[in-house]
Amino acid sequence: MAQKTNSKDLSPPRAASRLLLSFLRDDLAEDVSGDLEERFYNDVLRHGSFKAKVNYWYQVINYLRPFAFKKIKSSPQNNAAMVGNYFKIGWRNLVRQRMYSFIKIGGFAMGIAACLLIAIYIQDELSYDRFYKDGNRIYRVYENWNDNGKIEKGVWFQAPFAKALKEDYPEIEKAGRYNSSELFGGGPNQIRPDGTSENFYEERFVFADQELLEILEVKMVYGDLKHSLDQPQTIVLTRSKAEKYFPGENPVGKLMVVNDNTANPFKIGGVIEDFSPHSHFQHDFIMTMTGREFWWGEQNYWGATNYPTYVLLREGTNPEALAAKLQKVVDKYMLPLWIKDGRSDAKDLASKISFGLQPIRDIHLETEIHDPVNHGDRGFVWLFGAIASFILIIACVNFINLATAKSANRAKEVGLRKTVGSYRSNIVTQFLTESVLFSAWSFVFGIVGAWLLLPYFNDLADKSLTLPFTEWWFVPAMIVGCMAIGVLAGIYPSLYLSSFRPAQVLKGNLLKGSKGSSLRSALVIFQFTTSIVLIISTVIIYRQMGYVMDKKVGYDKEQVLLLQGTRTIETKLKTLKEELVTIAAVKSASISDYLPVRGTKRNGNRFWNEGREKTDPHVGGQFWVVDEDYITTMGMKLVEGRDFARNRLSDTLNIIINQSMAHELGLKEPLGKRIVNYRPWNIIGVVEDFNFESLRNKVEPLAMIAGISPGIVSVKLNTRDVSSTIAQIEKVWDKFSPNQKIRYSFLDETYARMYDDVQRMGRIFTTFAAFAIIVACLGLFALSAFMVEQRSKEISIRLVLGASMNSILRLLTLNFVGLVLISLLLASPIGWYMMREWLQDFEYQVPITWDVFVVSGILALAIALGTISYQCIRAALAKPVEGLRSE
Amino acid sequence: MIETKLGEFEEVILILTGILGKDAYALKVAESFEEQTGRAVSIGAVHSTLERLEDKGFVTSEMGDSTAVRGGRRKRIFTVTALGKRVLKECMEFRLSLWKQYPVLESYLRIG
Repeated sequence: MAQKTNSKDLSPPRAASRLLLSFLRDDLAEDVSGDLEERFYNDVLRHGSFKAKVNYWYQVINYLRPFAFKKIKSSPQNNAAMVGNYFKIGWRNLVRQRMYSFIKIGGFAMGIAACLLIAIYIQDELSYDRFYKDGNRIYRVYENWNDNGKIEKGVWFQAPFAKALKEDYPEIEKAGRYNSSELFGGGPNQIRPDGTSENFYEERFVFADQELLEILEVKMVYGDLKHSLDQPQTIVLTRSKAEKYFPGENPVGKLMVVNDNTANPFKIGGVIEDFSPHSHFQHDFIMTMTGREFWWGEQNYWGATNYPTYVLLREGTNPEALAAKLQKVVDKYMLPLWIKDGRSDAKDLASKISFGLQPIRDIHLETEIHDPVNHGDRGFVWLFGAIASFILIIACVNFINLATAKSANRAKEVGLRKTVGSYRSNIVTQFLTESVLFSAWSFVFGIVGAWLLLPYFNDLADKSLTLPFTEWWFVPAMIVGCMAIGVLAGIYPSLYLSSFRPAQVLKGNLLKGSKGSSLRSALVIFQFTTSIVLIISTVIIYRQMGYVMDKKVGYDKEQVLLLQGTRTIETKLKTLKEELVTIAAVKSASISDYLPVRGTKRNGNRFWNEGREKTDPHVGGQFWVVDEDYITTMGMKLVEGRDFARNRLSDTLNIIINQSMAHELGLKEPLGKRIVNYRPWNIIGVVEDFNFESLRNKVEPLAMIAGISPGIVSVKLNTRDVSSTIAQIEKVWDKFSPNQKIRYSFLDETYARMYDDVQRMGRIFTTFAAFAIIVACLGLFALSAFMVEQRSKEISIRLVLGASMNSILRLLTLNFVGLVLISLLLASPIGWYMMREWLQDFEYQVPITWDVFVVSGILALAIALGTISYQCIRAALAKPVEGLRSE
Repeated sequence: MIETKLGEFEEVILILTGILGKDAYALKVAESFEEQTGRAVSIGAVHSTLERLEDKGFVTSEMGDSTAVRGGRRKRIFTVTALGKRVLKECMEFRLSLWKQYPVLESYLRIG
């Protein structure tokens, strides 16, 4: 039987013996492995091969004892000298090969600068709302509305919602709401201290509960947090606004007048510290909700949603379980109302609503939930991070490419070192030391670069970031980063270089730079694929931008001046309008807060065809109050019917709708039909669809009635000399409102601002695409220099034999052109896919046509050829004798 | 003087080394320990003890001959030194002197 066990079974497990030798002292190796082997064969005979193997492992592991371990090889002094030597050799190489060193370090430095900037950007984005003492108990309530499988999330709740939560759920310690809607007086307003006459324009007004301030843990400068908003008609100011209106004094108890309403001034209940820039809640003037009703019965009405609601949970409450329990609110308060209104689908409606609790620190980056808050964009954070790491990888690739390409220069050194007794590990250490040296220099330049670029970057990303030089973790993080990058970039070259066989390289058998050239090609392809994807993205973003800017939006946004803050003129508003029209360069003027650009007044209303209110689902849409000159001033087009008449009395029951509304209501011949929004309206006209929100969305249904909404006067100009017209308008303004500075903007500028984020994204892409391309080109430049250097003899001989300059150039560039073309093939589908995803965001998209790829390809090719041509032309123009003389 | 103190395990290993004479290498010592005491022990443990005894000067070691079953590798043969023998003897005498003071067993020993 013993004969049958084959030789493999009969030898000790190899892994175990290798492990043994890896740690065992050299002088013990022979007798110990002998002992163990003898034991093994005895065991095979006695217990069979399996048990013998197990026992062998057992014995090996039992040799893991201090006495048996290898001693540290060389004495510490010698080691230090060696590392010193590595640095010296590394430094000499760095200095001798200036161009290559410059490219390695320069590329790395750019990559590191980009990464640093982006890292602080990401850190900033992640640091929102993380400073509350009870931050893990503060939640914002949101509603899930299941619209036939599509979940819509929103934060607006009914006025009595917060109170009901607090009363019905003992888990909730505090509940507070705010209302920032301009419809009710939030947002921009005119304000002045009582007793003065000049109004000031301020933008960040909000109505809020006393308890909301407590939940948000605001810090008081003056006044008592518990009683700052608990009286009717009180207001809380931030410190900077209090300084502006009441410099150097405690204003608590003083009165302020909002929008010239001297009859109902606000009493200052407290002054709080400005909200941290890292808070999602940004308001300067907080007016109390105590004792306020926006219409009769509003505070107990369950049919209108205007209030984002926050809760502070008691310790140990499970938010998910509580959110599930909140469902009862619908059945208890909303369902009875719907049934009373006679809605046949009331039960169905109730089943579509559920609630969720969102931790306050998640608000900033969450864009799924509709709310009135400025958000960061999680996608942006990811995108930024990805781009930064790509630039860094491209820089690493440069390093790897150059190090392996130039390996021939170091081969002799490696051979010699090995001959005189270097282990491979010593050589790996040497080259890693060198690459860490490079990486350290790159970090120095990279940090300086980031510091220099920071202002531009802040501008680009619309942030105010600083480099955290003084943070305790900054220096350690940089050192760790420097080591990590050094090792990452250096590991492949050092393994490659240390693998040389001394005998061969010293005989001169190593083909210069030939090995690893396919890897180099692959890495160049990677670099250019990344660069071309960025170019494609940039081109498409700019095209979409141009498309959005030039698209016919259904109204004429040129030469429309928006006169803002006209609410305070009140009764004289109509006279102001009449006087404005008398100016020669003014074509027409219109009074309305509702404008077809974002940031002006909006609402949400429900429409039905007359007589179908109880049976049909509603059509959601805008309900705008305009005047009879609105459609003319905005240059909108009536496709059917007529505009509102001058004599307003006759049009009080009439309505003009847009095409989308007609379509949604299924009206084929809308003129003369009646639609219901609280009461019936006669349709007298249909206006062509115009985009009043961003082009990301479809045109929503919309209806306009004649009336007064006095916040903004739009003035259509027809002049080349805008500035003198403005001066005339200003003169008229001062007559009507001497206490309030004129404030105006232009419709087209306001429109352009809607696409700030797209523009910003375009600029960011351009910048980083440029970064990536420069780094990639640095590498290409060095590679071409290396190639020319290598083939200089061949080129010289070709020249001597009569080759033309053209043929030399072709010879040298063809290879690179091929690589760029392959990159283009790879990059096109990637870029196409990515940008198609991005464009999904827009309802109106520029088509991605084939010429995008041609343009990007030509651009990449031109950049690549431009980069290598310098070296190639130099080689082709060189005197052949220069290249041949050395032999 | 830690060097001259012997632990129980050390003492047994030292005695076994002496018994095995020219055949005293780690594997053999371990095996004979297992035979004599019925307790399992790893070669590593025995080797580490022998090493320690060598540090204390109770044994010396040198490389011996090789056999085919060890893949041609030589053995490390441990030999008890004069000092080692003296320490063993002292150990034994100390025990005996203790036993002599032990009433019941002394008579038992005499009978034996």
